[in-house]
Amino acid sequence: MTHIRHLILPAALLAAGFAGPAAAADPSGQALFAHYCAPCHGDSNGPGTQQLRRSRGADKALLVERTDLAADYIQYIVRHGLKAMPPFVPSDLTDAKLRTLVSFLTSPLPRTAKDQSTLPPP
Amino acid sequence: MAEPLPPGLTAERMSDALARFRKIVGKDWVFVDDRVASYHDPYTVPNDAGLHRAHAAVAPASSEEVQALVKVANELHVPLWTVSRGKNFAYGGAAPVLSGSVVLDLSRLNRILEVNEKFGYALVEPGVSYFDLYQYIKDRGLKLWIDVPDPGWGSVVGNALDHGVGYTPYGDHFGMQCGMEVVLANGEVVRTGMGALPGNNTWQLFKYGFGPYVDGLFSQSNFGIVTKMGIWLMSEPAGYRPYLITFPREEDIEQVVEIVRPLRLNNVLQNAATIRSLVLDAALFTTKSQYYPGKGPIPDSVAKQIMADQEIGMWNFCGALYGPPAITDVLWSTTRDAFASIPGVKFYFPEDRKRRPDILIHRADTMRGIPKLTEFGFLNWNGGGGHVGFSPVSPITGQDAIRQWRMVSGRVREHGFDYMGLMAVGFRELHHVTVIVYDQNDPAERQKLDELFRLMVREAAAEGYGEYRTHIHYMDTIAGTYGWNDNALMKMHQRIKDALDPNGILSPGKSGIWPRHLREAKKA
Repeated sequence: MTHIRHLILPAALLAAGFAGPAAAADPSGQALFAHYCAPCHGDSNGPGTQQLRRSRGADKALLVERTDLAADYIQYIVRHGLKAMPPFVPSDLTDAKLRTLVSFLTSPLPRTAKDQSTLPPP
Repeated sequence: MAEPLPPGLTAERMSDALARFRKIVGKDWVFVDDRVASYHDPYTVPNDAGLHRAHAAVAPASSEEVQALVKVANELHVPLWTVSRGKNFAYGGAAPVLSGSVVLDLSRLNRILEVNEKFGYALVEPGVSYFDLYQYIKDRGLKLWIDVPDPGWGSVVGNALDHGVGYTPYGDHFGMQCGMEVVLANGEVVRTGMGALPGNNTWQLFKYGFGPYVDGLFSQSNFGIVTKMGIWLMSEPAGYRPYLITFPREEDIEQVVEIVRPLRLNNVLQNAATIRSLVLDAALFTTKSQYYPGKGPIPDSVAKQIMADQEIGMWNFCGALYGPPAITDVLWSTTRDAFASIPGVKFYFPEDRKRRPDILIHRADTMRGIPKLTEFGFLNWNGGGGHVGFSPVSPITGQDAIRQWRMVSGRVREHGFDYMGLMAVGFRELHHVTVIVYDQNDPAERQKLDELFRLMVREAAAEGYGEYRTHIHYMDTIAGTYGWNDNALMKMHQRIKDALDPNGILSPGKSGIWPRHLREAKKA
């Protein structure tokens, strides 16, 4: 392959599985969870899952299986962090994305997590 | 608490600046009041809550917006603390050295401008994360590997500028940087190296261009704002074979490092391999309370139990072989023969590891450039969540390695923490990175950490060891140890700072470099 001059696209949007202007995009909560949360909370071995298992118990370890999380609480933790989890800045995980993410995490079960940290090698 | 103002700036002037910032970037991208909380250091060290607190944050989406913001900041003398993505969490995250600064958050400059498979490079903006670049390459099926530090959500640009390291043969990130675009404090845009030649096609191929090589001036510095950067990428090798070698005694580090040096200098060790301590590796997937209910560092009996349970050693050497089997077979036999003389040594390939999760299975991903956040698991070791890195550099000699290990592990344990260290093998040096995991919500523990850190800096400097990188709270302290010839290097930094940024608006205090007016205020 010779020089690849790709169109200039927001990288985070590409990573979330779609392309196009940010304003027009409406990524699904599942895709946002995969991008922002799954590297720590996606499976049973993630550091976020381990922390929750340790502090809250095995039945509350996996975020996608939780039914007890209030929307306000999720938003607060995402913006302020908790223990080892640092906060997410609003320039990256925007308020609109956060609302979609919260909708996903408070939607009826079952939900699935796509763990970006376990994607196959290139 | 109300967010502080920077020294010498009135509330009215700050308000004026923020209003003008909103006109440049849009009202949704200036963050004040409770929206600033996300920019605080999540693993704060000092007990003085007024330190290292931003007043606001502004997030531009283009170099042009950065230029416009800088011009306003210059006019109104507003300090801007630049972060690429603000994920440098062991070293302060997005928080500024100087309280009252406005964080210039470059997360929205997140374009991957070019990925070139033929020549093996990418040109990216500072908001691009390792996850982003990895996914981009994977989606297009390009035969390229990236090199990642342990946390994959960080900025490719920011990590290189802070002299971060990874674990493939391209592990020296700033060494793999080629060509920058920089916004200076006066708003002017500069391209370095070949980028200064109009119409060139070698900006990401040849670092030096013509004349002084200036790229280093923009790393760990506050002389400009890097808005584009080239990074060399590794071609996918014909073969890949990660391995783990374990050693049963802490004192083995002396012999291990003596063996490592000639292997590294002869390129038998191809990658930026790491020699990791027991607790650092054990903490990725288990917690202290699973093994030891007491306070303070784990005793030897517990260490031995962890070694047996997890099939790891007191030191664990993680490396990898890259290339066709005809080459890697020879490299492996040479490596294995070299280490075989150490009593109790054990050799593993991934197929030998049956436990899940497992340290080699995890690091096999990292050493091939797959970004992850798995290493954050060590923060769960004692549940406190906080961590700070202490990172002195040493020659690759057994004598230096064991001296450093004794100094650091001794002090860390005296202060009640477990030693969680690694020695990353560079081209000619070891980065001895020790993470101190502490309870960030316990003021007494933070105080103890602060005393420990300052003591270790002093003792390391007395032995001729300096840190290569540090937390925002210790930048002055570390800079002070680089004082040869009456602080000649810092004086030169200050002259450059005053020339390029006479109003001192860019990241005051970064790496201990303060603008003239704040130097004079500190003296007074």
